[in-house]
Amino acid sequence: MKLSETFRNGLIKENPIFVQLVGMCSTLAVTTSAKNGLAMGLAVTGVLVGSNLVISLIRNVIPDKIRIPSFIVVIATFVTLIEMLMKAYTPALYSALGLFIPLIVVNCLIFARAESFASKNKPIPAIVDGLGMGLGFTLALVILASIRELLGAGTLFDHQIMSASYQPALIAIMPPGAFIILGILIGIFNKVRMNNEEKKAAEETKSAVEA
Amino acid sequence: MSLFTILISTIFVNNFVFARFLGICPFLGVSKKTDTAFGMGVAVTFVITLSSIITYFIQKGILDTLNLGYLQTIVFILVIATLVQFVEMVMKKTSPTLYNALGVYLPLITTNCVVLGVAILNIQEGYNLIQTIVNAIGASIGFTLALVLMAGIREQLELADVPKSLEGFPITLITSGLMAIAFLGFSGLV
Amino acid sequence: MNETLKLGLILLLITAISAFVLAVSNNATSAKIEEADRIANDEARKEVLPDVEKFEPLDEVKFKEINNSNEEVTEIYEGKDGSGEVKGYTLKTIIGGFGGDIEVITGISVEGQITGMKVLSHSETPGLGANADQPEFQERFKGITTDNELVIVKESPANENEVQAITSATITSNAVADGVNLAREIYNSQLSK
Repeated sequence: MKLSETFRNGLIKENPIFVQLVGMCSTLAVTTSAKNGLAMGLAVTGVLVGSNLVISLIRNVIPDKIRIPSFIVVIATFVTLIEMLMKAYTPALYSALGLFIPLIVVNCLIFARAESFASKNKPIPAIVDGLGMGLGFTLALVILASIRELLGAGTLFDHQIMSASYQPALIAIMPPGAFIILGILIGIFNKVRMNNEEKKAAEETKSAVEA
Repeated sequence: MSLFTILISTIFVNNFVFARFLGICPFLGVSKKTDTAFGMGVAVTFVITLSSIITYFIQKGILDTLNLGYLQTIVFILVIATLVQFVEMVMKKTSPTLYNALGVYLPLITTNCVVLGVAILNIQEGYNLIQTIVNAIGASIGFTLALVLMAGIREQLELADVPKSLEGFPITLITSGLMAIAFLGFSGLV
Repeated sequence: MNETLKLGLILLLITAISAFVLAVSNNATSAKIEEADRIANDEARKEVLPDVEKFEPLDEVKFKEINNSNEEVTEIYEGKDGSGEVKGYTLKTIIGGFGGDIEVITGISVEGQITGMKVLSHSETPGLGANADQPEFQERFKGITTDNELVIVKESPANENEVQAITSATITSNAVADGVNLAREIYNSQLSK
C-alpha cells in the first residue's frame, strides 16, 4: 500500500469513529466544546504515532507470547508522557479533559492499530498510519464537538457565532446530546457511503453495458 | 460522603455509562441480548471490585510511599490486565460452569475503561478502603443496569422498521441518548 | 522453564526501559508542573484580593485550629502590602453543589469587605450551574460587607446582602454562596481583630 493511501485510509475510508466505531468513551465525553475535542484528538494522535513507531521498531524482538503486555507498557508510557507534558504546559486544558487523559490507555483505537498495523509493518508506514488514524479521530471529534458547542452554547472555539437572541439548546452539551448527535452523524455518514456505493455500482453496470 | 450517598450517586446520578461515558465500547458491543448483557455485568462487577481493592493497596503502599505517583497509569493498567488473566485461569480450573458462562467476556474487560476509570477515580476522590469498595460495587451495578436496560430495548428494536442508514450503531446511540435523558432526572438527587 | 525465564526477562527489560524514560521525563517536568500550579493559585488569589503585594500562608497552628472545626476550609492565605502589613485574606472552601464538590476562593479585606470570589473547580451541569465560573456571576459578590449573611435571590437584589442566582441553577448558586458565607464566618470569628 502506498503511504498516501495508508494516510487517507485512516482519515476517511476507515475513519476510527464514523466507520470503525472505536474509542467511543473519550469521543462522547470530551466533545462539549470544539477546543476540548481538538486537544483530545491531538493527544490521542501523539500517543498513536509514538506507540506505532516504537512497536514497529521492536516488532521483531518481541516474542509473540508476550506481545500484548509489551504493547500495553509501550502505550501506557506514551500516555503518561503526554499527561506530564499537558500538566506542565497546558494545565487548564489538562483539568478540562481530566480523567480521560489517563484513559487514552484503554482507547481501543490505539491497541487495535498496534495489533493490526504497527506490529506487521515497517516504521515509516506505521508512523503514517498513526498520523492518518489519529487525524481521522481528531477530525471526527472536532466535527462532533463543533456541532455540540454551536447548538448547546452558540459559540465555536469560544467565539460567539449565533446571534445573542439564540437560546442555546442545552441538551446538546449535556450527556444525552452526545449520544444523539453522534448517532445522527454516523447515520449521515452511512447514507453518504451507501449513495456512493450505489452510484459506483450503477456506473459499473453502465460501462459494462456500453462495452 | 456517606456510603449510601456514594452508592446512589454512582448507580444513578453519575451512572458510568450515561453520565460519565465510561465503558461505552462493551455497552454498545455486548448489549444485544439480555442474558449476555447480564453475564458481562457480573464479570465486570467481579473484576472492578477486585481491581479497586488491589490498586488501592498499591497506591497507598507503593506509589505514595515511594513518591512514584507518575507511574500510576502504567501500573494500574498492568495490574488490571494481569488480574483479568489470573481470574480467567482460576475460573477455568475451579469452576468450569462459571467459566463457560463468563469466560468469553473476560478478555474484553481489560480494555473496558470502567475498570481503569473506577480505579483512578477512587484515588482522585481520596476514598478510604470501605468507600473504595462501595464505589466499585456501585459503579458495576450502574454499568450492569445500563447494559441490561439497553439489551431489553435492543431486543425490541430488532423488530422495528429503522431507516437503513441508521441501522445498528446509530440507532443504538440515539436510543442511549434518550435513556441518558431519563437518567438526567436523577441529577441533584444527592 | 527456560523459555518462561526468557519471556520474563524481555518483559522486565521493556518495563525497565519505560520506567526509566518516565523517571527522566518526570524529573524534567515536575518543577514546571509545580510552577504552573503555583502560578495558577497565585493568580486566583490576586484576582479575588487585588491591591496587595504578596501572599503568605496563614500561621500553621492557627490554620490547623480553624481546619479542625471547619474541614470545608482547605486553605487560608494572608495578603500583605509592601511593608508587610496584612491587608486581607483569601480562603478556599469546598462545598457540595448540584453535581459534585464546588471549590471556591473568597477574598476578604481587613475592612470587612468581600473583594472577590472565584469558582476554582466544579462538576455542575454545562450551560446551567457551570456558569458559576463565569465572571458575570462572580462579579455579583464583589463589594458586599461581611456583616450579614449572604442570601441568594431569584430576582435582582433589593438589599445589600442579596445576590442574584444564576438562571435555572439555584442549587449551584446556593452552594457557592455557602462557600462564601463560610469564608465570611471564619473571617468574622477568627481572623478580624
